[in-house]
Amino acid sequence: MDRIEQKLAEIASLPTIPTLLVPLLQHLCEPAEEVSMDRVVKIISQDPSLAAQCLRMVNSPLFGVRYPIDTVRGAVMGLGANRVRQIAMACSLLKAFHTKGAVPARALWAHSLAVAMVAQKFAHEAGFADPEQAYSAGLLHDLGIMVALSACPAEFDGAAQAASREHRALYLCERELNGFDHCAIGSMLARKWQLPAPYQHVLQYHHEVEQAPAHRCLVAIVSLADVLCRLRNLGYGFEEIGFVDLATEPAWAFAADGLPRMQEFDLARFTMELDAFIAEVERSVTALFELV
Amino acid sequence: MSNANLMAPNPTVLAAQAAAAQNPHLRKIRDLIYKVAGILQPDHKLQFLEDRCGRRMQQLKTTSLHAYYDCLTMSSVRDEEMKELLNEITIGETCFFRNAPQLDALRTVVFPAILKNKSHLAYRHLRLWSAGCSTGEEAYTLAILLLQEREGALKSVNVEVVATDLNLRSLEAAEAGVYGDYALRNVNPLMRQKYFIPAGERLAVKPEVKSLVKFSRLNLMDDARMTFMKGMDVIFCCNVMIYFDGAVRKRIVQHFYNNLLPNSYLYVGHAESLYGINNDFHLVHFPGATAYLKPEKRMGGGA
Repeated sequence: MDRIEQKLAEIASLPTIPTLLVPLLQHLCEPAEEVSMDRVVKIISQDPSLAAQCLRMVNSPLFGVRYPIDTVRGAVMGLGANRVRQIAMACSLLKAFHTKGAVPARALWAHSLAVAMVAQKFAHEAGFADPEQAYSAGLLHDLGIMVALSACPAEFDGAAQAASREHRALYLCERELNGFDHCAIGSMLARKWQLPAPYQHVLQYHHEVEQAPAHRCLVAIVSLADVLCRLRNLGYGFEEIGFVDLATEPAWAFAADGLPRMQEFDLARFTMELDAFIAEVERSVTALFELV
Repeated sequence: MSNANLMAPNPTVLAAQAAAAQNPHLRKIRDLIYKVAGILQPDHKLQFLEDRCGRRMQQLKTTSLHAYYDCLTMSSVRDEEMKELLNEITIGETCFFRNAPQLDALRTVVFPAILKNKSHLAYRHLRLWSAGCSTGEEAYTLAILLLQEREGALKSVNVEVVATDLNLRSLEAAEAGVYGDYALRNVNPLMRQKYFIPAGERLAVKPEVKSLVKFSRLNLMDDARMTFMKGMDVIFCCNVMIYFDGAVRKRIVQHFYNNLLPNSYLYVGHAESLYGINNDFHLVHFPGATAYLKPEKRMGGGA
């Protein structure tokens, strides 16, 4: 126990929340397009360096824009408010956590972006009310690992190596070897940052949906997206779990209970379409990393 | 692993991919193929689909994808044309070690799990079925895999590969077991040396590989004979189901389900889906591959 508390003390000195993260997270679900455009422009313009980063990202070959975009409003007009909001979130988080040159950090960012994209698609197809929220939740879900990488790198590395060697889930190895996992760390960070409740739950319970006291559908979506990514070359950057039967995962049961279109959900097709994401995620991460 | 795609994207390739992905008629053809045959070309493969449609359009002297879509849906020869297109899509799919992640999963997850389930048995037997084996590449691949594993995990396990096809000419070629460079493109020099012997310009599978495989003629639509293919641990049926309509596919997959032991697996082609065909199998995920699991106990509905 005191080891965990010791870690908590160390974590207290960890990154402060990117100023604009919470405003960016509090998007309105399906607002009038102009309202959400104005909101996003207003938020991002408060931080000139973030605005500049977003513009460089927007102008990277990734988005194939035909004319250089030189204002935040122009970016929002060209790519849509939600896309720019997603870019701004990624930029502000990367700035808070970036550890230069670290390979695991890069793989983790790829994983986080992939889970965000897959969660959004899953949410959309299964009839979840707010797919944008699923994207944000996916992007944030492993912040606990980002913290672990700088707060207790040796311990985290030990767990990662065990997971890779024994083909077991990372969070189980963390618990066994260190007494705590990245969900516990993530939950501390979420409370310290005062993230909105749905995201706190995602950070804390994405490996055990059944423990979540609320927002179970969102947690379940992120949990399923996480497992799918870890089995489609979009995991933590090393071999880990070797098999999963989603139908027997608690997350699947919660999704089936709470999401209106899960009856018709075509998991086979969904899985095949994920492969198209791999290249896109790699390009996004490359573009992101060139910014910092 | 995730570093495989790190090279800078080629803008021309990306642009062509994006153009293909945005063509509404191509997407309609993709969805039609999925509905009719259960084969999916995801967005990043639409350019390939466009190319294969192009070959057919040249034959038919059709100039637009729109017109070709009409040909696939409204013309009197639509069923035949769909078969022609499916042939173009699956052509050249057959070779040794075709789907590496699928075979890795077989070796690292599936075999150990099956053996664990059989650990209480004094006499352990492993029976794999290559259903629709064509000219035998898949069946011999499985036999080589079994031979490799027999040096380790499968020691003291009796193994066999049952391989069936409808086409007698294919079966003759399969039994001859002589292959050229194209079929062997995924076989490294070490394995060529260990499991093949030179036969002129080509290579023949060694007798020890052949001895594990039993070829026979079987029509998957023959209900009476399908009932007798019992006690299977793993069934491979890749790019075969496309030749049957939905009702027949349901029947065949139900036979596969009945023929498999509990906790055993059905593998289909990497672009194939059993969506809407069967609800008893669970679609399960391995690193980079999927398979259909016959669960121990029936759990109604689900994935």
